[in-house]
Formats: sequence, structure tokens, C-alpha cells
Amino acid sequence: MTHSSAVAVTGLGMVTSIGTGRQKFWDAVLGGRCGFGPVKSFDTHKYRVHVGAEISDFCADDYVLEPQSASIGRTSQLAIAASRLALQDGSLDLSSVNRSRVGVYVGTTSGEPHCIERFDERYVQGRMDEVGAEFLNGYPCHVVPFHIAHELDLAGEVMMIPTACAAGNYAIAHACDLLGHGKADYMLAGGADSFSRITYTGFARLGAIAPELCQPFDRNRKGMIPGEGAAILLLEPTTRAVARGARIYCEIAGYGLSCDAHHMTAAHPDGEGAARAIRLALQHSGLEPRDVDYISAHGTGTLTNDRLETIAVKKALGSHAYNVPISSVKSMLGHTMGAASAIEAAVCALAIAYGRIPPTMHWRDRDSECDLDYVANSARNHEVRVAMNNAYAFGGNNSSLILTARSSSAS
Amino acid sequence: MKTAMKKRVVITGVGLVSCLGTSSALFHRQLCGGTDGAGRIVEGDPQGMRIPLAGRISCFEPELYLKGRSLRPLDRTGQLLASAAQMALDNSGWAAEALRRTDVGLVLGTMFGSMHTISEFDRRCLIEGPACVSPMNFANTVINSAAGQTAIWHNLRGMNSTTATGATSGLVAIGYAADLIQCGRQTAILAGGADEFCFEASYGLERAGLSSNAGHEAECFTPFDARRSGMRLAEAGALVVLEDWDSALARGATVLGEIRGHANCYNPKWNQPGHSARGIIRAMRGALEDARLSPPEIDYISAGANGSLAGDRNEGLAIKAVFNGQSDQVPITAIKSGIGETLGAAGALQAIDLLETMCSGTLPGIAGLEQVDAELADLNLCCKPTCVDVDSGMISSVGFDGHACSLIISKPPAQV
Repeated sequence: MTHSSAVAVTGLGMVTSIGTGRQKFWDAVLGGRCGFGPVKSFDTHKYRVHVGAEISDFCADDYVLEPQSASIGRTSQLAIAASRLALQDGSLDLSSVNRSRVGVYVGTTSGEPHCIERFDERYVQGRMDEVGAEFLNGYPCHVVPFHIAHELDLAGEVMMIPTACAAGNYAIAHACDLLGHGKADYMLAGGADSFSRITYTGFARLGAIAPELCQPFDRNRKGMIPGEGAAILLLEPTTRAVARGARIYCEIAGYGLSCDAHHMTAAHPDGEGAARAIRLALQHSGLEPRDVDYISAHGTGTLTNDRLETIAVKKALGSHAYNVPISSVKSMLGHTMGAASAIEAAVCALAIAYGRIPPTMHWRDRDSECDLDYVANSARNHEVRVAMNNAYAFGGNNSSLILTARSSSAS
Repeated sequence: MKTAMKKRVVITGVGLVSCLGTSSALFHRQLCGGTDGAGRIVEGDPQGMRIPLAGRISCFEPELYLKGRSLRPLDRTGQLLASAAQMALDNSGWAAEALRRTDVGLVLGTMFGSMHTISEFDRRCLIEGPACVSPMNFANTVINSAAGQTAIWHNLRGMNSTTATGATSGLVAIGYAADLIQCGRQTAILAGGADEFCFEASYGLERAGLSSNAGHEAECFTPFDARRSGMRLAEAGALVVLEDWDSALARGATVLGEIRGHANCYNPKWNQPGHSARGIIRAMRGALEDARLSPPEIDYISAGANGSLAGDRNEGLAIKAVFNGQSDQVPITAIKSGIGETLGAAGALQAIDLLETMCSGTLPGIAGLEQVDAELADLNLCCKPTCVDVDSGMISSVGFDGHACSLIISKPPAQV
């Protein structure tokens, strides 16, 4: 590891269905709290499933200033809230930094889906004359990081990385590269998605939504539960974090990205692409399979994902796979799409910082094909020096991010 | 994180589908000849509304490039990108056999993905009910679906990412990919972008006041022209093949150019008078710094100007500021005069034409430019094809809402 390019995680901001802000989120996730409930944001009576993981207590006005608060979509609102929380958590006062060297990378699946859903409603109702400038100004997914930068007056590199359900990992990985190249002083990186009718409809049509509970790795698992949320990590070079006396949760040691090039919605049946991402991540981090202490799984709760992820972990880690605790917080938060891997990266950072691992909830029966240690139903004390965050997406995109306790030599 | 020695990043192939053809030489020749590919804006009437219908590629036949399998899983954006990828791989000499041995990556820049696919999927749900939507179409509602479909079609198993920054997305994607190669994460990446022409995007731009006044007397979309009234939406898919120099030489590839540097940034004060050119200035200076070049070493600028009132002006003012004292000399062109605003594909099309300009020694003029905007009168805006000797050229891309990106390409390094 090249010391000068090490990247530290110094601030965490989460807005989720089980808790907003680092401490509330961490207490909820260790306590096994669930965010599932009947979908409220649209009518599901024509659907065979009715459960979602929406955020019920979010008030945009607490985070977004006028005049932006009136004109931006919910994903932007969630992302701005997460950004402010991350800066606060990282004790970074923006008035003391060079704002043209603070960048924002966000991942998403849908961007601002409500804008196009409203457009579609008007189309169907023959009220297209009501479509105004707000549609195109508010819809394209890049507006989410742009709104963050506008709100916080940041003038560095700003980009949306819309790589669907693994997008948070991609955004964090690319932000680390930018910091490593010395092209930014601080990065706000993560993911955000708001509850979308389009996404819900699609997963319902694929038969991928569980009727009640998300039970990753359980033999009787019935699917995922769509959710919403945002998580933003404050990243900076470790040298800078040390110099300003910031609390360092962990460092980002490396990442691996690969593509199955096999099928849009189904992972390759041999798990090779996902295993390749894990191997690349370890190689990039200069680590061996036996070094991994914890895996935050993609663990959506669908039959295929959980089985293939288990195969991939075994392929890449060999016999060590059986010694590594693995948990899926999607058992509590549902699948928050582009936000998921960013929330789960925050989980890894907290697991390293506090030596606690959140549980996989609703796990009842062992599946012969999912035979690893899934930290069933209750949190565990466990020293974590190396955590791996897996995320997979449509298009056969595989990502693994490696987070590590700060090496003592760096202090 | 392990850091390797910085690699030099070269371009070894290009591929494009545009309203000015699918070969880079023809594309360049038509631009030089002043051919207007995007066409006049005519009014369409799908729902009793006025909709500009310029910019759709009328003669696009994806089955010419994508053979042997059903095209049904690919929507239009996917077909544009996968076709461009086929041509880029051919042009660069990547055969299917080599793609089985090596992980090649893909970075897509797109503003919308396929807005038509997303919107149509949702409308079907509203009209016919959630049980009637197509699972195959759902796969394409993710914004990066064209990147996934293209990877599947061509067996690209390397990093597969997508950038979205609005109209600058494609140039940003090339910079992103160049960084990945420079630091040794990947040896070859297809980078560029695609956006389709669809009713949804066209109508949205029209309602946001960003399109030229379709069908009106005042209709003018010539970049930098005093009479301009907005942009013309068009569609394209365009990719360049980036490789690390050593690997490219080792496999005997032809090197077309070298990526020297790039920068992009957001300007949070973009809509405040007096501040709006700042982001573009910083992107241009950042790219020069990244390339370790000074303004006098830039022989040519390919502007992103598309006929928009504020965007063109800000870009012109930024060039003046950055090339202070020299801005009346460095020749500037804006190819969107001939191809319209192709959003995610635009940056890659500019890069492809810059390579052609380097090779042919002739830059395409800004077709139709007759009355230069008075504020930009002292820029060397070329309205006719002009002979140039380009060692290094700058590409500028300017978004609608505060984003800017610049990238510098030089002639291929001398082969030792």
C-alpha cells in the first residue's frame, strides 16, 4: 500500500427507513430493526405484492435550503440530507476548505423517477400541456449530485455514476481513484434512490419481490423488498485526515469491478464474474483471501442472488469462506437500489470502527447451497480489520470494495 | 491501494453511428463539406402537440453491424452503442478471439439512457396494469442498460461503468476511462457515449426552452451565431478504444492519438450573471495542467457549442480567458452545426473528428456561421474548412446546468 495515496473514511451520512444519521442507523441495524411496511407512495392494489421499505419520517426542509427545497426531487433531497450528515459527522467545516477541490460522486439506479412517472401520468391522461420546464430540469439522473454541489456550494468534480444496484460501490471506488491521483482534497461519495413505481413494477413482474419479509440466505427466502435511501461517505487522503485531527473510521484499501457479459438480469450461473471482482479487489488491496474478516453481502434475498453470491465467495476465498461472518442488511432495509452498496460500505466502516457486525435478520432454515456463516438474527462482537462489500447489478456488473482498519504504520 | 507507475493512454480505434454516417473519414468529409446531417426541424404531431423531429438517424440499420443474434433485447440507445462498439473493435483490431483472452472494459457516457424505454414501460403499467409490462423492457429501464447490453453482445468482461453529467457525459466517460488505464486498472477500454432521439427527450427539452424555435422564422441553431435561438436534439453512438501504450504496441495496434489530460468540474454559481463562464475556464485550465501543456501549445479547439444562447457565449468567453492574448489565433470549430446536440455521444464524436483533423490537416468549419456573436468577434471562429497542423487539440464540452469538461488529445507518440 502506498502510504501517501491511502484514502480515509471520516464521515458517514445515512438516510434510511430504519434510521437517519450515523448513530441512529447503527443502533437500528445492530438491533435488527426493520423498515418494511405497506407501500404508501403509490397504489398497489393491482399488484400481487404490497410491501416496501419507504422512509416515513423524512423532512426535506430539515436539510435543504430555499429555494432549492421547493424544486428538487426526492432522491436529491435524500442525497443532500446524507451529504450534510456526512460533513457533520466528519466535522468538516466547508468554509475552511478550497471548494473547487471538493467533489461529489453519487450512484443511482433511477435518479429522479418521480419526475418521469408524473410525465407518464400526464401523457396517459392527455394533459401534456401541463408539462413544464421542471420536467427536463429535474429528471436527468445527473441532477442529484449537481443539486448536492449547488446546495453546498462545491465546485470540484461532480458526477453521477448510474450503474444500477451496485452504483454506490462504483462511485466510492472512482472517488478513491480521484483522491489517489491528487485531483481532489475531499470527496462526498455514495448512492441515492427514492421509492419508484417503475422499479417496483419491474421487480414485481420478475417475481422477485417477497410478500412479507426479506430473508437473505434462508432456505425459504422469497425475494427482495424494494426500498429507498441514501448514504454519503466523506473521503479524504489519510494524511489530510490525520493532519486535521479527524476521526478515521477506516481506509478504503481497494476495489474490483468486473462484468459477466452474460445476461441483463440474471447473473452468470457459475458465479465467476463475482468471484473475479473479489479476486481483483484483494489483489488491488495487496491482501490475501485469509485476511478478510467480514463480508457485507449483496444478499438481496432472491433465490439466485444468494446462491450465486455464496458460490462466488467460496470460489474466491476458498476454505476461508467458512470462517468469515457474512451479513446482509437488506434483511432490514430492503434493497435500496443505488444507495444499497453505499449504505453497506458505511456498515463495513462502522463494523471496523466498533468491532460489531450487524445480523442477517429473518434467517430460519439452512439452505444446503447457502452454507456459510450469515450472522443469523443477532449482532455479534467481532474484530474486523478487513471488510469486503459486495454489490451486483443488472448488466452483469460485479463490484467488491475493500475497507480496512487504518494500518498502525500510518499513524 | 496499490499504485502503479502512470501509463500513457492512447487511442487505437473509433466507431460511430451518426446522422453523418458510420465511418470517421466520411463523417469528417461531410462536416468539411458543410452537410447538415441533423436536418431542419419539422413539426410532428403524435398527440396533438408540436414536437421537433430533427436529428433521428433515418438510415440506421443495426443489423448491418450486429449480426447473428436477435436485436430485440436492445433498445435504440443499446443498438446505437453496440453498433458503435462493433465498429470501434473492428477499427482497433480487436477480434472476438482476443476478447476471449483479455478483459476489455467499457465506460458509457449518457444523459438519459433510454428515456423512451423507461417512459413506455411505465405508461404500459398505467394503461394495462403491472402484470402486462415486459420483463425484457424492464432490464433496459436502468440508465446503464446500453453498457450492459453492449458488454453482453461483444463479450466485454472488464470494468463496465457509466457516467452521467448531462451533455458532457461522453467526454467525462473518456476521461474516466483514461484514468483507469493510466493507473493500470485496465489495459483496454471502450469509452464514449450514446443517447437516442426520442419523443420524451425532445418534448422535455422543448418545454424547458432549450430547443431552437422549431418552425419559427427565428429558427437558428448555428453555434456562436448572433441569431442562434437554441440547440437541435439529435442522436448518435460513438466510442473510442483507449489502451495503454505499451499493450497497444505489443499487439501491433495502430495508434491514432494520445490522451494527454482532462478535467471536469461543476460550477455552483452557473446561473448567476458574471459567474457563468467560471466552470468552463476551470475545466480548460485543469485539462492543460493535467496535460502539462500551456495554452500556446494548443493548435485547435473543438468547442461544444450547440446554438444555445448562454452556453455558446460562456464557452466563447472561457476560451478568451484561458487563451488570453492568443485567442484570436487558435482556430476554433463547433461540429454541432452539422450533427446537432447528440448529448452523451457528443464528446466522443468531437474526439473522433479531432483525430481526423489531425490526420487530414483540415478542420471542418462551423457551417452556417455568418453573423458571429458580437461578444465573441475576436475569436478565431472558423466558418470554412481550414488547413491546420495540429499536434495537440482541446475538446470542450459544456452542459446545460453548470457542468464543463475539457480533454486534450495529441498526435501519436513517436514509435521507438
